[in-house]
Amino acid sequence: MAAILEMQNIVKEFGRLRALDKVSLHVEQGETVAIIGPSGSGKSTLLRSVNRLEKITSGEIRINGELMVSSPSGKAEYVSERQVRRLCSSTGMIFQHFHLFPHMTCLGNITYAPMKVKKQSQAQAEETAHRLLELVGLADKADNWPSQLSGGQQQRVAIARGLAMEPELMLFDEPTSALDPEITGEVLAVMKTLAARRMTMLVVTHEMGFAREVADRVIFMADGRIIEQGTPEQIFENPQTERLQNFLRSTLSAQKNQ
Amino acid sequence: MTVQVFLLTLVFALPLGLPVALGSNSRLLPIRLFCRAFVWVFRGTPLLLQLFFFFYMLPIWFGFAMDPLPTAVITFVLNYSAYLAEIYRGGINSIDRGQYEAASCLGLSRWQTMFGIILPQTVSRILPAVANEMITLVKDTSLVYVIGVAELMKASRGAVNRDTDPTAYLVAALIYLLFTFILTKVADRVEKRFSRHEARRQ
Ligand SMILES: Nc1ncnc2c1ncn2[C@@H]1O[C@H](COP(=O)(O)OP(=O)(O)OP(=O)(O)O)[C@@H](O)[C@H]1O
Ligand SMILES: [Mg+2]
Repeated sequence: MAAILEMQNIVKEFGRLRALDKVSLHVEQGETVAIIGPSGSGKSTLLRSVNRLEKITSGEIRINGELMVSSPSGKAEYVSERQVRRLCSSTGMIFQHFHLFPHMTCLGNITYAPMKVKKQSQAQAEETAHRLLELVGLADKADNWPSQLSGGQQQRVAIARGLAMEPELMLFDEPTSALDPEITGEVLAVMKTLAARRMTMLVVTHEMGFAREVADRVIFMADGRIIEQGTPEQIFENPQTERLQNFLRSTLSAQKNQ
Repeated sequence: MTVQVFLLTLVFALPLGLPVALGSNSRLLPIRLFCRAFVWVFRGTPLLLQLFFFFYMLPIWFGFAMDPLPTAVITFVLNYSAYLAEIYRGGINSIDRGQYEAASCLGLSRWQTMFGIILPQTVSRILPAVANEMITLVKDTSLVYVIGVAELMKASRGAVNRDTDPTAYLVAALIYLLFTFILTKVADRVEKRFSRHEARRQ
């Protein structure tokens, strides 16, 4: 299997705060990796470093084997802007708050980037968009404005928008955290479909059920470090560190109380 | 003549405000400084003073005089570009960071993001402020009177002198009011047109 993403000794500092402290992470083609951990542990920062929404302080990142950033002198040096954009375009990102473009219909949201960046014809882009809307179960919403959709529907359109760029790696940053508990299921179902199709996914989530059921590997982060990782069984049934044991106890009891 | 000043200012200042606004946000320091200084000067001094400056001082200092109309138009365009630039910039800055991040994740360039994603959303937000500015402009055009190019005010004053009938001033005021009223209506229409996507969920 080929590594889609290789991160080596990633350090990210916000002023004096070290949000990532020498994190190394490999993601193989077709893998679904879940990242769990307490608030402020650096999960989002790690995800956002992959597509340079955050510029790392030092470390090395390769996407599909190609170097995006390295630190020969100890400080991060990115390859050219063009190259970085090309590498990042093989990743797609789904945000907690969707970030659909409010001035475009669902169809417009999905077709805009393929037409502008991939120079697809409108007919071609729309055909793909309709197919993707079908995949996420919103075939009838093509001409609706995002403001006319529920949160769960908006998030599914956002997933379709990301998929339209044919990414090889999808990054999800708490895709269901902004949703009412009753409708998280519809988004998780779409993600399960993607996992079943062997889409490579890196998912930051508070949904322990999803991590346990769908992920091939679960990573537990705290204080900007990867504390423990393994199969869902290893992480949930047999946690090694006290941090993880405590974390699981508190989140699982919190989720039961909901 | 005031109508000419109004229309020409509209035609030139509306677009000119945009590069100034983008420049004020530029990552390149010289561009940013230049645009911010421009805004500072033209927004920070009274329009009347600027008119005096361009009309009376420039010829004295630099030895060339322009016709009143182009002088008035240039002054108004510069002044209004500065005001509009600040409105545009405020609008651009009010767009959620997430929009930039989503665009960047889809591989859109800065240019595509600005013109395809950010500015279209800015339009509906800044329209009320821009309409306001246009109404102020209608009233400000009466200032061109002081450099002797106003027709509306001059005509009405002529009428007052002739007939010693103050209703002429009233007529002038009514014309201004009518003008601003029409503008408000037009602005409303345009605003509705650009906020279609904000329609509430059915
Ligand atoms: N732009 C920023 N400027 C300064 N500090 C930041 C910034 N972004 C994140 N941080 C800090 O970095 C640390 C890690 O943040 P991060 O958002 O990655 O945590 P997280 O694990 O995603 O948390 P959550 O579960 O609440 O989303 C936190 O202490 C946070 O305050
Ligand atoms: Mg986070």
